[in-house]
Amino acid sequence: MFLSPDNGVSYTLGFSWLYLVLACRRYTGEGLQKRFFLCQLALLAAPVFAVDFDRDVRPVLAENCFACHGPDGAQRQANLRLDQEDQAQLAAGEILTRISSDDPVRRMPPAYLGHDRLSEREIAILREWIEAGAHWSAHWAFVAPTRPQPPAVEWGARVQNEIDRFVFKRLERAGLSPADEADRRTLIRRLSLDLTGLPPEVGEVRAFVDDRSPFAYDRVVDRLLESPRYGERMAARWLDAARYADTQGYQNDAPVQMWGWRNWVIEAFNANKPFDEFTVEQIAGDLLPDSTLDQLIATGFNRNHRSNSELGIVDEEYRVEYVVDRVETMSTVFLGLTVGCARCHDHKYDPISQKEFYRLFAYFNNVPERGRVLRPFNSPPRIPAPTREEARQLEEMAARIAHAEKAFRATRDSAGTQYRAWEHSLARSDWDADWHPSFGLAARYDFESDLGSALASGQVGDIEGKVGRALSLRGDGHVEEQGIADYDYNDRFSFAAWIKPELQDGIIMSRSQTFDPRDENAGKGLTLVLEKGRLKLKLIGRMDDWIIVSTRERIPLDRWSHVTATFDGSRLAGGVTLYLDGLAADTVAELDYSNGGIKTKEPFRIGAGADVTSRFIGAIDEVAVYDRELTREEAAILGAGEDLVEIARIPADNRTRGQRLKLERAFVDVHGPPGVRSAWAELAELTRERDAFARGVATVMIMAEMDPPRETFILERGAYDKPGEKVLPGVLGVLPPLPASAPNDRLALARWLVDPANPLTARVTVNRFWQMLFGAGLVRTPENLGTQGERPTHPDLLDWLAVEFVESGWDVKSLLKTIVTSATYRQESKGSMKAVHEDPENRVLSRGPRFRLPAEALRDQALLVAGLLRHRLGGPSVKTYQPDGLWFDIAAGGGYDRGDGDDLYRRSLYTYWRRTIGPPSMLNFDSATRETCTVRTDRTNTPLQALNLMNDVTFVEAARKFGERMYFEGGKTLEERLAHGFEMATSRPPRPREAEILLSAFGRQLEGFKSDPDAANALLAQGDSPVSDGVRRTELASYAMTAAMILNLDETVTKQ
Amino acid sequence: MKPADPAIRMTRRHFFGRGGTGVGIAGLAHLLGRDAVSQGGLPELPHFAPKAKHIIYLFQSGGPSQLDLFDYKPRLEQLHGTELPDSVRRGQRLTGMTASQTSFPVHKTWFKFRQHGDSGAWVSELLPHTGRIADKLSFIRTMHTEAINHDPAVTFFQTGAQLAGRPSIGAWLAYGLGSENDDLPTFVVMTSRGSGRVGQALYTRLWGSGFLPSRFQGVKFRSQGDPVLYLSNPEGVSRDRRRMFLDDLSALNRIQQEQFADPEIETRIAQYEMAFRMQASVPELMDLSGEPESIFELYGESAREPGTYARHCLIARRLVERGVRCVQLFHRGWDQHRSLPQQLPKQCFDTDQASAALIEDLDRRGLLEETLVVWGGEFGRTVYSQGRMTETTYGRDHHPRCFTIWLAGGGVQPGLTHGETDDFCYNVVSDPVHVHDLHATLLHQLGVDHTKLTYRYQGRQFRLTDIGGDLIRELIA
Repeated sequence: MFLSPDNGVSYTLGFSWLYLVLACRRYTGEGLQKRFFLCQLALLAAPVFAVDFDRDVRPVLAENCFACHGPDGAQRQANLRLDQEDQAQLAAGEILTRISSDDPVRRMPPAYLGHDRLSEREIAILREWIEAGAHWSAHWAFVAPTRPQPPAVEWGARVQNEIDRFVFKRLERAGLSPADEADRRTLIRRLSLDLTGLPPEVGEVRAFVDDRSPFAYDRVVDRLLESPRYGERMAARWLDAARYADTQGYQNDAPVQMWGWRNWVIEAFNANKPFDEFTVEQIAGDLLPDSTLDQLIATGFNRNHRSNSELGIVDEEYRVEYVVDRVETMSTVFLGLTVGCARCHDHKYDPISQKEFYRLFAYFNNVPERGRVLRPFNSPPRIPAPTREEARQLEEMAARIAHAEKAFRATRDSAGTQYRAWEHSLARSDWDADWHPSFGLAARYDFESDLGSALASGQVGDIEGKVGRALSLRGDGHVEEQGIADYDYNDRFSFAAWIKPELQDGIIMSRSQTFDPRDENAGKGLTLVLEKGRLKLKLIGRMDDWIIVSTRERIPLDRWSHVTATFDGSRLAGGVTLYLDGLAADTVAELDYSNGGIKTKEPFRIGAGADVTSRFIGAIDEVAVYDRELTREEAAILGAGEDLVEIARIPADNRTRGQRLKLERAFVDVHGPPGVRSAWAELAELTRERDAFARGVATVMIMAEMDPPRETFILERGAYDKPGEKVLPGVLGVLPPLPASAPNDRLALARWLVDPANPLTARVTVNRFWQMLFGAGLVRTPENLGTQGERPTHPDLLDWLAVEFVESGWDVKSLLKTIVTSATYRQESKGSMKAVHEDPENRVLSRGPRFRLPAEALRDQALLVAGLLRHRLGGPSVKTYQPDGLWFDIAAGGGYDRGDGDDLYRRSLYTYWRRTIGPPSMLNFDSATRETCTVRTDRTNTPLQALNLMNDVTFVEAARKFGERMYFEGGKTLEERLAHGFEMATSRPPRPREAEILLSAFGRQLEGFKSDPDAANALLAQGDSPVSDGVRRTELASYAMTAAMILNLDETVTKQ
Repeated sequence: MKPADPAIRMTRRHFFGRGGTGVGIAGLAHLLGRDAVSQGGLPELPHFAPKAKHIIYLFQSGGPSQLDLFDYKPRLEQLHGTELPDSVRRGQRLTGMTASQTSFPVHKTWFKFRQHGDSGAWVSELLPHTGRIADKLSFIRTMHTEAINHDPAVTFFQTGAQLAGRPSIGAWLAYGLGSENDDLPTFVVMTSRGSGRVGQALYTRLWGSGFLPSRFQGVKFRSQGDPVLYLSNPEGVSRDRRRMFLDDLSALNRIQQEQFADPEIETRIAQYEMAFRMQASVPELMDLSGEPESIFELYGESAREPGTYARHCLIARRLVERGVRCVQLFHRGWDQHRSLPQQLPKQCFDTDQASAALIEDLDRRGLLEETLVVWGGEFGRTVYSQGRMTETTYGRDHHPRCFTIWLAGGGVQPGLTHGETDDFCYNVVSDPVHVHDLHATLLHQLGVDHTKLTYRYQGRQFRLTDIGGDLIRELIA
């Protein structure tokens, strides 16, 4: 019978029914819809004899009273709080009078705020509660779970483990019984999809069916949990929660590189890293004593948020957003609490004050970061994150370098006599011998006889120089050359020169446009300049995309100084080093943003920029431009103006470091014996090779702490520019306190999250795993276990699992094994008529789960059965098939550069994820958008999904290759081949009627293709993979269509 | 199918009623017949008799300059070149692009303004067609927003929040009101690029469903390839072959349905049928060969070209004719930081005629009454010049404090100009309209009380207008 609250049956069910309706009502905001579902719940309700505060009363108060009489101090009316026991008790009589009053002025909740009178049921609940003494109890989720005693149950023989006792007990109360165990084919498909995200191979299915051992089921579970595919499957959901993506997610949405963190996640799941360690390393791996590279990479979790590189944003506005995102993500993922409301005001329902929000904020507010991030790629703090293979190669290179260095030292030391002899002869010679670093030298101007390939522009002269002659500049000319110093903001380069300035201002060398502070593209380029006597290197992009680094010290006028400027291509001011006379100078970064290219068509100029008003007056000598960042030693050498003979004549003890190094380098590079020279060359070559390789290693953005820490203030109404009271880090008062002894930092917070006394983290985590397997959690609002979330359908089971999880040492694989070996999980998903009728959403678990596969599993399954799937664990994201023009249409930065070969056939976990335009065949199937943390799974069923599965080239190609496999691997007859294909996708052979339909479908398709062979060829041309020979095209095309049909079957796209 | 089976009937109602749990309402609507289930949407909606059934939002992305298009400020002739007084600027924040400017010289418009029609609305010479139909429009000069950069500002206009994660206007309407057409999506989006400037990026979140179920998200009609992603059958698969395929697929799925009695299976069968119908209905919609010559004269020659704004305006009319609830156009390129006198005329040329044509066309067909049309961007532009003041050009930075949008049809009083700005077009003098106010009014015209269209997520009742939104009563006819 279909019951509705409208049809008058409701009151006959009595009070226990009433409160249930109420308890449920708040779970949905969908008006009339809720009624259908409520009455079904009511039927499942167990008889209850007393009003339970937390279950029955609090929801009424929260829904109707807390907005004005709750935790939010700012909105509180009449100075009355009903979220605290003492006040509520004092006001109990008044509450009763007011809620039942017919006087619209006195009645609460008030008519003038648009509230209706409380329903009779709500009033009855409050009356019952008040009459019983208005006693309070804490919200269930804020009390740490204790291990409940599993109850004795009716279907004891079916019980596999404790889970079943809790579930069966609930079924008893609902008057339902558990469904039968599913058959083995269904079970192994369910297990494989759940634990690896892929269906089983036909051979695996048959082996399981034939395995008569009592341990057969456990063996399958163990095998799947040990598969490397397991880590990939588990990582997929974690990436949703951690809002992982390959781009920044704002405006132009430039790329970032966080896949090194994704590798870490996959490996962590595969290694079964205990969930407490998994948590601590991601939240505070950088603060662990002697943290490893892996632990640093793990902290990328808190850098996966969207980040904004848009020109013109207010830096602090976005820096605050990042911190807020971290707080909200951590709270949702680990605590199952929505703290975001408290950003602007005290939480209206949960006991979370605005101050507490900012105390959490303080833990994440101390990263040395900026609101406006670099684009493309990663912003500091970041760290090179070599893959295992890269790390191995780097180790090998380091070993080779160590070996070469040892060999070099040995040969050099054994050549000590020769060195001294060379030095001696140098000192007595009149040779014209000098040496300077030559590797990476792009241009050198010594101004001895002519300008070489450069040209004079205007009047220039020559004059006695630091070495020989020098360029003399009087303000009416400079020297220039095309094609030199064409560097961008991510290139490495160095400039060096001797200068003898007569004025405090003037451009030493440049490759830049005319400068104008108000023109968007003016001044673009590279400039080494003296301003008010200070040496500055400027890298200028458009508008405010500038790096300017300046020495604190002034360069003396009218005498020779050596200047060197180097840049490491990091796009950061910190990557600039300025040297004066060979020594690194004390510098300040005047500007430090570099988000736009700095290349210009201007020539390289010595003594001027594009604007003639800023010419250098004085003399310049020995200008050198390098395509690399010079080392400190090399800068010192350049700063030594004396040639080798002059240095050799200086007593060894009186030589400067630059002079000494110059002599030594000249010897090992040019003048020493062949053995020394080759050993040096070998060492230099290996070092360069290693450096180049290391530069190619992708980085990962990580967490770091500033010292001293940034201060945190309550932000009025959440606004970045309205700081209020200063706060210190701290955890939510409603939860247990931090241990007193530990320093109050992010690490303490991380450990507090996984402290067994924390009532939330374990529950939230097991609930999310439950959702992954059953389609919905035991709490169906996995993002919110607070007072506004749903109550668990099986509170005792949730607590039992949480305690079990913690006591097992947070062993994820063991938890999953416990769940999937339960009889509850093994039930067939076919429900009895009664069960489907009374519990359409399967809340009480009277049958197994049945729901459509997640987006990535749909594609992975198709690739697998097609034989196209390329297994490779980890690595950068890949660009698979995507309809043309998708990016071009709405995004900046041009088109989509599709990958090929294996890139097309990797697991969907590795599909490149552009946050503002996610992969359409993922979004069509309800994937998270990865813009913000998502832990709840929604599933819709739309025509766009049908189109996607039928027509997306990924699935068309998969069908085609799947068809080929049916043909070549499926047997000898058409019937065998079709049946084999069906079994590959569904793990079972077709029923006779299904086999008949397959056969006739194939026949009809074949007939059609025979009369239109071009169509067959066209269909087989879909996708990059080749068509196998040896079969007629018309036949292959018919297999392809039949295979497509199998891939589109409800059963294939569903886990049941 | 066994419609008499009580379990199935019950669960169908159940899933239909729940809305969020995963059954395509459109599919069920088809299965059960339109009468049985109305047209999807929430049963309590509309909250009151709607003025409009459809909305067409002509979003001009980038921030069109109200100073050069709508909000005529004759005093700027004298003030040209003078420093923006601090008493006007009042220390309000600027974007990082001009915050470091040392001077904020007031810049007049180079374009001529005149009054149009009986209403006497001021419109610049750049928009002659808009001027021509000014009596059918209502101008809001005092629109203001909270964000000063594109991404948060556009997101705010489309979702009521600056940060990602909330449903777009169209998604709210699809969720609340459902569809009037079983063969086309409820919410359609089209994007075009301006020739004045390529323009700022757009994001799928602007028509996304946020925390609402994803079936409420806008379906983007594309100008390249398939108009709807994956709409066309692969090469070699004709419509007949697809029909054959679907017949066999349904036959197999029905066997499964007998086994499981899961309403999801029935819905899936229905959705494949809807997909098949869309394969016909969408190309029919996009095929403009039946439109008479006069229509192309009205909308402009560029309406013949796929991907243009004019084409999209014409398609918008065809969508509304077919009962599509919400049509959202995005036209890029209105971000004139510099070279405004060179870029803005091109932007206007691309859009002016077609925007006006859409209004006239809807009006002639009697559709304007039931269709609310909105024209506007995410913010306006500053009165002061960005960069150098030169003889040859000027530019303007983002300005969130006041800018102009217009509304037409859908029960909006025509011929009004609402709100007043100061002589510098820098601050609102009277009748400010916040983004939430606009949203509240749009929903109201569609029969929705913005405070009651809510969705519980993360323990909170969310709505498009967050905690704000006052109706612009003066505009409501």
